[in-house]
Parts: sequence; C-alpha cells; structure tokens
Amino acid sequence: MQTTVVGNYPKVPNRPRPARLRQAINRRDRGEITSEELTRIEDEVTVEVIGEQVDAGLDIVTDGQVRWDDDQTYVMRRLGGVEIGSLERYLDTNTYYRRPEVTGPVSWREPILVRDYRFAAENSAKPIKAIITGPYTLAALSLDKHYGSREKLALALAEELRNEVQALAEAGAPIIQVNDPVIVFQKEDIEIFSRALRRMLNGVQMETAVYTWFGSAAGILPALLDLPVHTIGIDFVSGRDNWEAIKSVHFDKKLGAGIVDGRNTRIESIEQIAESVRRLSESVSPADIYVNPSCGLEYLPRETAFEKLKRMVEGARKAQPVAA
Amino acid sequence: MPALTTNAVGSYPKPEYLAQARTQFSQGKIDRAELDKLERKATEYWIRSQEQIGLDVLVHGEMERGDMVAYFAGEPGGNPIGGMKLGGLVRSYGNRYYHKPIIVDRLTWPGPMTVEMWRYAQSLTDRPVKGMLTGAYTMVEWSFDDYYPSRREAVLDMAPIIRREVEELVKAGAKYIQIDEPAIHTRPNEDFDLAVEAMYLTVDGIDAEFHTHICYGEVEKIYPDMLRLPVKQIHLAFMNTDFEYLELMQQTPFDSGKDLGVGVTDIHTRFIEDVEIVKDGIRRTLKLFPPERLWIYPDCGLKTRTTDEAEAKLQVMVDAVRDIKRELEIE
Repeated sequence: MQTTVVGNYPKVPNRPRPARLRQAINRRDRGEITSEELTRIEDEVTVEVIGEQVDAGLDIVTDGQVRWDDDQTYVMRRLGGVEIGSLERYLDTNTYYRRPEVTGPVSWREPILVRDYRFAAENSAKPIKAIITGPYTLAALSLDKHYGSREKLALALAEELRNEVQALAEAGAPIIQVNDPVIVFQKEDIEIFSRALRRMLNGVQMETAVYTWFGSAAGILPALLDLPVHTIGIDFVSGRDNWEAIKSVHFDKKLGAGIVDGRNTRIESIEQIAESVRRLSESVSPADIYVNPSCGLEYLPRETAFEKLKRMVEGARKAQPVAA
Repeated sequence: MPALTTNAVGSYPKPEYLAQARTQFSQGKIDRAELDKLERKATEYWIRSQEQIGLDVLVHGEMERGDMVAYFAGEPGGNPIGGMKLGGLVRSYGNRYYHKPIIVDRLTWPGPMTVEMWRYAQSLTDRPVKGMLTGAYTMVEWSFDDYYPSRREAVLDMAPIIRREVEELVKAGAKYIQIDEPAIHTRPNEDFDLAVEAMYLTVDGIDAEFHTHICYGEVEKIYPDMLRLPVKQIHLAFMNTDFEYLELMQQTPFDSGKDLGVGVTDIHTRFIEDVEIVKDGIRRTLKLFPPERLWIYPDCGLKTRTTDEAEAKLQVMVDAVRDIKRELEIE
C-alpha cells in the first residue's frame, strides 16, 4: 500500500508565512519582475510543496501543479487551435477556470509538462508522478467552435496529447496519471471517454492511472476497469455509493482510494482513515491500494492540507498489518 | 414600481481609498470609526451615482463587504454570525485568493449585521434601497463545515439567522429584500428541495417583496424547479449566456405570479455593450413577458469592474430601457 496525492497542492501558505507566489504573479502583472524571475519563484515554491508532501510521509508525490492556473488552461493554451475564453465555474465548486475555446484543429506543438516534470524529479526525495488532464474532461470543459461534436474534439485532443504522454515517458516519469473527472457527471459519454483515453495512452509502457473525483463511478466502473491503465482513482467522499459500487465488481486493478476529504477542513481521525482503508481492503488487495485525498488539495488552506496528509499517512500505516 | 424597473444586483467597485483603509483596519492602523466614515463616504458616492444614472431602485453597493459570504463570517469590520470564522486562504481562480469561512460551532444570530448600513443608504435618497442578504444555502455551501454532521443540518440552522436579519431590515423600513443564492444549482438533484425549504424558512409570512439572484452555473438544471422558490422575483444573468434562458422559458412558461429580473450587461467584460445590443436583449425578453413583469439589471454584482466601467454599464442599461419605453409608449 502506498500513499499519494491526486494532483494539486495549495500554492500559498497562510501568515506568518509569506504568500510569495501570489506576490510574484502580481508583480509580474505590474511589470515589476520578468517572467524569468517569476519562473524562479515558481521553482522555489515547487521545491517547497514537494518538501511538504515528503515531510507528510507520502510515498509518491507531484509537483503540486504550482504553475497551473487551472486543470484545463495549463495544457490547452499550449496547443494550436485554442484560445482562452471566459471565466466559468469549475464543476460544483466555488472556484473558477478560464474556459478554453477551440477555434481550429488542435495541435501539439511542443512539450508542455516535460520541463516541470524534470525539475520536480531533480528536486524530490520521492518519486514524482506526472499529471495531465484527460482528453474527455478537456473537451467537455472547452467551448468547441470547430469540431462540432464532443467526441471529435476529445479524440483529436487524445491524438495530440499522446505526444505529450510520450515526451513524459522519454523524460523518465515512472507514473503518468490522467485526471479526467468530468466523466462521473456525464456517464452516458463513457464510450467516448474510453476511446479517447485508449488513444492517448496507446503504446505507453510505464505505469498509468486515470482519476475521477466529485462523484460516483457506479455504473461506469466495469468500463473503467476495462481501460488499459494500471490504476483507477475514485472519490469515496463525494461519491458515497462508490463504497457499494466497488463491491459489485471484480476490482482487478490498483485503486486510487480518495478517502480523505479534499474539500472540507474537518480533519479525519487516524482511526477513521484506517477504518476506511480496512473496508476497501475487503474488495482490493492492500498491496494494490493507493491511499490519497478525494481530489486535489487546492480547495483547502495549505496548513489544513498538510495536516490531512500527515493523518492520512498515519491512518494508512495503522491499517496495514505489522510488517515482518 | 414602473414597468421595466431598473436596478442593480448588489456590489460596486470600491474606491482606492476604501480598499486601502480596509487593509489598514485589518492591520490595526486605523479604528472602526475611521473605516466607517470612509465606507459611508463611498456608499454616498454610489447612491448619488445611481441617482444620476437614473436607476429606479438602488442598492447600497456593499462598500462594507469584501465577499458576500465572508462578510457574515468574520471579515474585518463586520458582525459575524456566531459559530463562523474566517479560515485560511483558498484560491478562487487565477491569482485570486480569499479567506474561506468555516462553521466551527452552532450557528447563532449575532445582532443586526446589515441594518445600520441599509438605514444610512436609505437616508440619502428618496428612491427605495434594497436590503441585501446571502441565502442560507449559499452561506453554507460556500463555507467549510467543521461542526454539523450534514449540510442539511447546517442549512436549516442558518435559515433562521438570515430570517432574523430580514425581520430587522423590514423593521427598519426595507420594502425590497434580495436574498442571493448563487450556489443554489450546485447539486440540483441532491439539494434543491433543501434550498427551497431554506428559502421558505427565511421569508415565509414576512411582509416585504423578496427577490433572489442566481448567477452562472447550470441554470437549465434548476428550471423550472426554481419557480418553487417563494420569492416575488428571480434574477438571472441573461447577457453572459446570450439570452439562451429564454428558450427554457419558451418551453416551460415562467411562473405568472413572479417577476423576472433580467441581466442585460455582462459584468465579466471590460468593454461596454452597445445600447442596441442591450435593447435587442430586452426586446427578445419582451416577446415572452409583459414589461410590467420585468426588472432590468446587470448580470451580476459589478465589483470586479472599474468605477468607470461599472457606471458605463449601468448607463447603457438605463439608456436602453428609456428607448424601449419610448418605443412601447409607456411612461
């Protein structure tokens, strides 16, 4: 059993610690520092949040997605055929993202995430998994002015982002995780979702994962288990009926078990976490469980996120039989 | 009120001196009286501005509020609801962060939270000033909850607190009260009944005209369910979605006992809509509604715009209404 995160980590800490990234972006926007200087601050903050994840005791960490404005635009704005449009509510949260607008054929022009991965890997005491937003979610949360159907856009994105996945593989990323949450809100599109994901991951050799959040995977779990990925990430906090759903299938992949609430500050007890892990162990072999929060941690204040991760690690340890 | 009554949704941009004073107050560099003076000065500016532009019903502009939920949960200068406090920084979007409220204990009414400012704003003008509150569902949905076992219990404890504030506003003389519920469509299947129940608990039996403002998000998922809300008027952001809500209302008629608040200028854009575009939106809406059942607004609060942009967006709205009234030969 290993512990990890789903993706992003809060970018700024609270007082008395300085909100350096926030200040640096403001200063860049006012022309007081250059983009290169901002990159240096982003690098420093990345090192800092990797350090916090390692300190919390996680086995596998991410770069915290410190440079990402949101899950969509960071990937989409670097593709050809895409402009960044209006501010929209992100799913059922009180946070917002800029909606990408697809105005022509999407095209991959250059590596988007490789530099970030390399930098993180060089500065982490633990393995870094590379995160990329999935083609279905990108298609669903974009405004399509070109393809005329979500299916065509999702498949085109998958085809292009395959280059990115390969570039990450060549850079040595041990795990590539596709965050593709919107499918749990649009289960009728599971066919499109699956085709797009297969296309994007076609030929990839390293460990792969697909993560969902904010909802129930009941009904689409068999289709998810059919995908050519190693790990399926499921949110057991927002999607209460996922507890039942996983009992009703033969779960023959690794489970990304989102059991710590990434959206509320209430701290779970170590015993609660351990109990959740034990319950899941009835359906999935403990060795095949990744224990993680229910979603990215940016919905929480930084200190709460850290506290939750520490508890999560302790709870996961407590749930495991004492090692020989 | 006249046909095509003009009004605004709630917030206006704060002048630089007030933004600075709020920071200084939270750092303990100026006292409450000094902040109060500047809040009133800025409020007076917006009352005069709205009168000059020609709005029929005014809002006080929320100069004393930073965020529509956090104000009631411990923003510096506010009178927070018992059991709530501000938590750590959470990112809203881009490089914008806010202190997200946390429910840490049983919720209690702390005494009047909004009455003094309403009374001051109304004292400045003969035109009606709306009382502005955030609805119980949105208050809870946009807060963390460390205390209640379920969202339902938190919302049902929050509703009587908002109701008490409504009663105080009515006692002070407010005739129009807007209860904003921008989070109401967060979980349309799971929670809509709860949101409706909370609104009943908040307004039922109180003698005032109640409005609610619902913005962005998937409005189509709560239509026509939203018509069950026990309010006289529902305001929606029409301009941002190019008036596509009209199609919903074509399929299922709007409640004939309710008025519709129509957002006719987009508050997320810096450019000022052409008056003809605004008029076109109003004309399209008039195909489904008689003018006396429509109130005309911007899409949402204007606080994220500059003062000039906000005023220009209000002016184009008032100009458009004046032209349309002339066309319809209504006074």
